Amino acid sequence: MNELINTFSARSDQLLWALIEHIQLSFVSLIIAAVIAIPLGIWLTKTQKLAEIIINITAVLQTIPSLAILGLMIPLFGIGKVPAVIALVIYALLPILRNTYTGIKGVDASLLEAADGIGMNPMKRLFKVELPLAMSVIMAGVRTAMVLIVGTATLVALIGAGGLGDLILLGIDRNNSELILLGAIPAAILAITLDFVLRVIQNLSYKRIVQTLVAMLLIMLLVSLIPFMSNRGSDISIAGKLGTEPSIITNMYKILIEEETDYTVRVRDGLGPTSFVFNALESDEIDGYLEFTGTVLMDIVDSPPEEYDAEAVYEQARDAILESHDLALLEPMQFNNTYGLAVKREFAEEHNLESISDLGSIESQIVAGFTAEFNDREDGYPAIQETYGLEFNEVFTMEQQMRFTAIESGDVNLMEAWATDAALVEYDLVVLEDDRDVFPPYQGAPLFKQEFITEFPEIEEALNQLSGLITDEEMQEMNYRVQFEDEAPYDVAYEFLSEAGLIDE
Amino acid sequence: MIRFQNVTKKYGEKTVVNDLNFEIEQGEIFVLIGPSGCGKTTTLKMINRLIPLTTGTIFFKDKMISEYPEFEMRWDIGYVLQQIGLFPHMTIEENIEQVPLMKGWDKDKIDARIDELLEMAGLDSKTYRKRFPSELSGGQQQRVGVVRALAADPPVILMDEPFSALDPITRVRLQDDLIELQSRIKKTIVFVTHDINEALKLGDRICLLNAGEIEQLGTPDEFINNPASDFVRDFLGDIDTFLLNQVKLKDVIKDVPPLEYHDNVDYPVVSGDSYLSEVYEELANASPILVKSGMELRLLKRKDVFRILADSKRGDAS
Repeated sequence: MNELINTFSARSDQLLWALIEHIQLSFVSLIIAAVIAIPLGIWLTKTQKLAEIIINITAVLQTIPSLAILGLMIPLFGIGKVPAVIALVIYALLPILRNTYTGIKGVDASLLEAADGIGMNPMKRLFKVELPLAMSVIMAGVRTAMVLIVGTATLVALIGAGGLGDLILLGIDRNNSELILLGAIPAAILAITLDFVLRVIQNLSYKRIVQTLVAMLLIMLLVSLIPFMSNRGSDISIAGKLGTEPSIITNMYKILIEEETDYTVRVRDGLGPTSFVFNALESDEIDGYLEFTGTVLMDIVDSPPEEYDAEAVYEQARDAILESHDLALLEPMQFNNTYGLAVKREFAEEHNLESISDLGSIESQIVAGFTAEFNDREDGYPAIQETYGLEFNEVFTMEQQMRFTAIESGDVNLMEAWATDAALVEYDLVVLEDDRDVFPPYQGAPLFKQEFITEFPEIEEALNQLSGLITDEEMQEMNYRVQFEDEAPYDVAYEFLSEAGLIDE
Repeated sequence: MIRFQNVTKKYGEKTVVNDLNFEIEQGEIFVLIGPSGCGKTTTLKMINRLIPLTTGTIFFKDKMISEYPEFEMRWDIGYVLQQIGLFPHMTIEENIEQVPLMKGWDKDKIDARIDELLEMAGLDSKTYRKRFPSELSGGQQQRVGVVRALAADPPVILMDEPFSALDPITRVRLQDDLIELQSRIKKTIVFVTHDINEALKLGDRICLLNAGEIEQLGTPDEFINNPASDFVRDFLGDIDTFLLNQVKLKDVIKDVPPLEYHDNVDYPVVSGDSYLSEVYEELANASPILVKSGMELRLLKRKDVFRILADSKRGDAS
């Protein structure tokens, strides 16, 4: 509890901004959804046949997992607030549409006859009789949509739209429960508060509801325009996936580019998995990001490495991605953030383990905790089984940070790890040597569009200063400072560059 | 005022109303009656075009209804529903002012009109204007329903079984009030009912429909005295009750000549506005009794009463 309060006071500015962003995202989405769904719902009450079809379509849209929708948005709309709002709107459509439809359909037929009988035209009938009587049902749909949106909006941080999800993702990434709570609790409170506000509005008279909603709409439109405008202003935007390492390295890119050129750089770190960031690059949402040589080969161009030498892998990756996607993979840094298998130090000592081959004698005692991705990918566990002929007693798949908790508690005794992962130090783990070269090298290097590099050669020059720098140990230490000592990635990046003499104090 | 000319309504192959021809006169209460499915409600709703007709023509003030603009025409035809149909989210005042608002009346005129109509309907305007329909009894609601129909002073009112959902006591009271009201406002009222007693009581003329065709059209007297067919006679079946409870004494004995000298006659005197059922006691104890209407007195004997009942059973009460 104390830690939660400390985290709160340390990050109250960040929390406030995230909260404001979250409210803006939610409101804009809700208003757009209402503006689409209410008239559509009204129209559907007049066209019986289409109603079934369209309501079913929105129902299907809602069954698509939110992560999948976000993933699908990127190639179409890039990253940031626009695709986030579109995804949230898609989610909010169904409850509003369905309640509008049933609300209006539920108006007593004799009242409609009365309205017709006294000579109201269809418009008058709609606004004076049908809508007022359906209003409570429609508002119930709006409330459902609101709660859905506020919850789902925590996920849009994955595509760089900000909001309270930023704190939650950061918390998951840093294995910091306080940070997770700092994002999750306000999200829950926000949902409850907004639900309450809407319920109060719902009980007002019809005229008051309309007046209140129009007033809120105007205020929110004004407030909402601010963040959409303030996003502009940087010349170059460079992204990084989720994690401390991409955050630190992208900040180094920013510092170097701003030092060597007149451009300003916007760092958009903490984005979702490879496919999200890669699609963002392809759709020009960002100009470049930190990618790894092994990932380029295995995930993007889909051609296994011909040799396991780091330099050969880089060259193969560079040539392949240039040819297939017209992207430029600049020179890599030294550290090799490859996969490895890690065990607790005392376990290694007890069984005399130094390399993966040594596991052969105790394979029946091994209970492994792997990420779903590692368990599945070709160069992951399947490669281990094939090359080393190992068959572990049992394998659990779990979220990446959870594995550390599991190995600490003894539920598993082996996990896959990234070579530069700071948690290895924190949890006192040793990485077993990959003596049969199963894992390809994963060296970090900036990835840009080729045309961008041709246009701005000075940026390539600035970034190539990092070429061959940063050892595994240095990277791991910097990760540790950010992840476990809560230092800012920018400060850590600045200090390294300064000590390396790449920038003037 | 309203004239039907060869009006037919079909739903698909099914004929609901077949070749109707009749005219509704200005200022009369014209009752459409018949068993379920006879087409009486359909006939009513064709007048204000809630139901389109298949063939034929309906004239409203000598102009085809199809020539009027659809919604504006209804402002001149008041409409009272069986389900009452007051808008539950509007106050009584808002319910009443809808048509005047659409007709563009100014606020003062509407205000005065609401006061006038509510008082006419026996509802205190101050008390009820701001109330919601749910705060009123069923009878009060339908009074407001009638007031709403009258709001913009239309020449014609359509009433679709307006009292059938009310309890018997309230129903009789609203019927009496309608007769009273009509004597002052002289609207053309088209009234649908399935209750022959209500039809005989309210109607200046009655149109009995059977399977979409007119079985008989005439005054209540003509119905009682000259039923056109067995169907009419069957439909009148319950006429005894009607005679006993709905027909006033002065109408029962209107053919009896008034007494010329009555100073010394020592019989009980009852009002001509009484119903037969109200004078059982007098008839049992003393026959004849004297029926007073205006300044005239007439003798009513027990045997006259039984003759009237017997005649009405035969459908030939002359």
